[in-house]
Amino acid sequence: MNPEPRTSQALNALTVAFLALTLAFLLDLWGRPLALTEIPPVDPQFTNTATVRLSIADQIAAGADPSDWDCYICHDRKKPPQLRFDENQNLLIPEEHEDIQLHHGSHNRNNNCFNCHNENNLDLLQTRDGRELKLAESTPLCGSCHGPTYRDWEAGAHGRANGHWHDSFGPRLRQACVACHDPHAPAFPQQKVGPGPYPLRPVDIPTAHPQPPH
Amino acid sequence: MGDPQPTPPHPPTASPRALTRRSFLRASAVFGGGLAALAAALAPLRHLDDFPTLDQFLQKYYRELTPAEMERILRRIEAEVEREYGVRPQVRDVKPLTGVEYVYAHNLTRCIGCRRCVHACVAENNLSRTPEVQYIRVLRLPHGSLDMEKADHNYAPEWVPEPDHFYMPVQCQQCRNPPCVKVCPVHATWQETDGLTVIDYDWCIGCRYCAAACPYWARHFNFTRPSIPKGQLNPDMAYLGNRPRRQGVMEKCHFCIQRTRVGRYPACLEVCPTGARKFGNILDPESEVSYILKHKRVFIQLKEELGTSPRFYYYFDV
Repeated sequence: MNPEPRTSQALNALTVAFLALTLAFLLDLWGRPLALTEIPPVDPQFTNTATVRLSIADQIAAGADPSDWDCYICHDRKKPPQLRFDENQNLLIPEEHEDIQLHHGSHNRNNNCFNCHNENNLDLLQTRDGRELKLAESTPLCGSCHGPTYRDWEAGAHGRANGHWHDSFGPRLRQACVACHDPHAPAFPQQKVGPGPYPLRPVDIPTAHPQPPH
Repeated sequence: MGDPQPTPPHPPTASPRALTRRSFLRASAVFGGGLAALAAALAPLRHLDDFPTLDQFLQKYYRELTPAEMERILRRIEAEVEREYGVRPQVRDVKPLTGVEYVYAHNLTRCIGCRRCVHACVAENNLSRTPEVQYIRVLRLPHGSLDMEKADHNYAPEWVPEPDHFYMPVQCQQCRNPPCVKVCPVHATWQETDGLTVIDYDWCIGCRYCAAACPYWARHFNFTRPSIPKGQLNPDMAYLGNRPRRQGVMEKCHFCIQRTRVGRYPACLEVCPTGARKFGNILDPESEVSYILKHKRVFIQLKEELGTSPRFYYYFDV
């Protein structure tokens, strides 16, 4: 018999506790890593640096046929086209131009083609102060009405820029108004939204199926 | 004299301290059990596979490195990245430019909340895809207030912008008075002369004090080993920028140091479809950001009452 039964009991208990701990550690009862749910890759459209639309100049540079913008293939040079309006003074767009959605300005009063196009030479644009511009060089035309925005654009505060933040490092590519705005409906179009952040813990991801403990 | 008394034989129960077979076995059981428990507790160490090499272990602090040592480290990092990702990157140590202080300006009127900046940043800066680390968090706020309690970054309509809301991306504000730098116990993060607060990922001990100190939620911790799919690695890297990070270190937006210090725009700016993001040198009076700060309604530095004085300005078009 051990003369000190309490010591003996304590030692026995310690041994059992240590063996239990050994088992627990080996089975990894805690600290088992959560299985990470693979987050799907992001659609490349969300990292594309292209502008939301292509201007005429961009399309011609990309190899489009310039004759697509030759108005006098259909129109007659000697006969300026006549605009037709309905009883509410809304412009009736002829079916040959039905791809044009005219929403320039929320008031819907800027609905006259010849506010911007030159009715006597449809291949040209015309500012309200009488300057004539080519179709592919429309930026000063926009600026002739949108003065503050044009001023900001010239200073670099409006519109996209790519390239270099100072000319000493390399070129800075500025975009024309019509690279982002449809001149017939210039409000910036709604865009698809990129995927939002996933929760940090995989079990918090709603679609995730945490692996059963094994 | 009396004959000497013979020494009495050792009594079997003489001293309770005497080592008996029984007490030896018992002590051995306790000792052995303890050892086994210790070994089992340390067993996960067997799965540790990214022990630092001697070179990594002995690497010095970024600001104490000589150019020759830096060169050797950059080549070593290139080799390590190539071994792991199969792409030979170009890792550079880009130094700040003199006479340059970077400033970001963000146009709240133009931002539509499409999150392209978030994902362009992930691709450019080699951020972990699973789990996600994202430097930019786009907040959606209702019109008419700047109450951060009403901000939501989990908005998920199909199309943006939504009516009656505006969007406010938040990333590292590159404070002039950065709380994250003050709390770092090992000086692994500091402010450079061009205003960028950078991190030496090899000096960071992962204590996350900086994440706790940052009022903008801009610092992100690699809780697991970052995973970047092969073939999606951006090979244009900077030591203080987008080289792959290890598990257990902090990272954050550095205004694309690998791009901006060689004159290029940051990736988030180039991808922005609306041109809401503007970037440049505030010390240059002709720069875009100087124009904006002079002429536009620059209404805040986010949480300016904290005195951090961000280099990231939000403004409105008028």
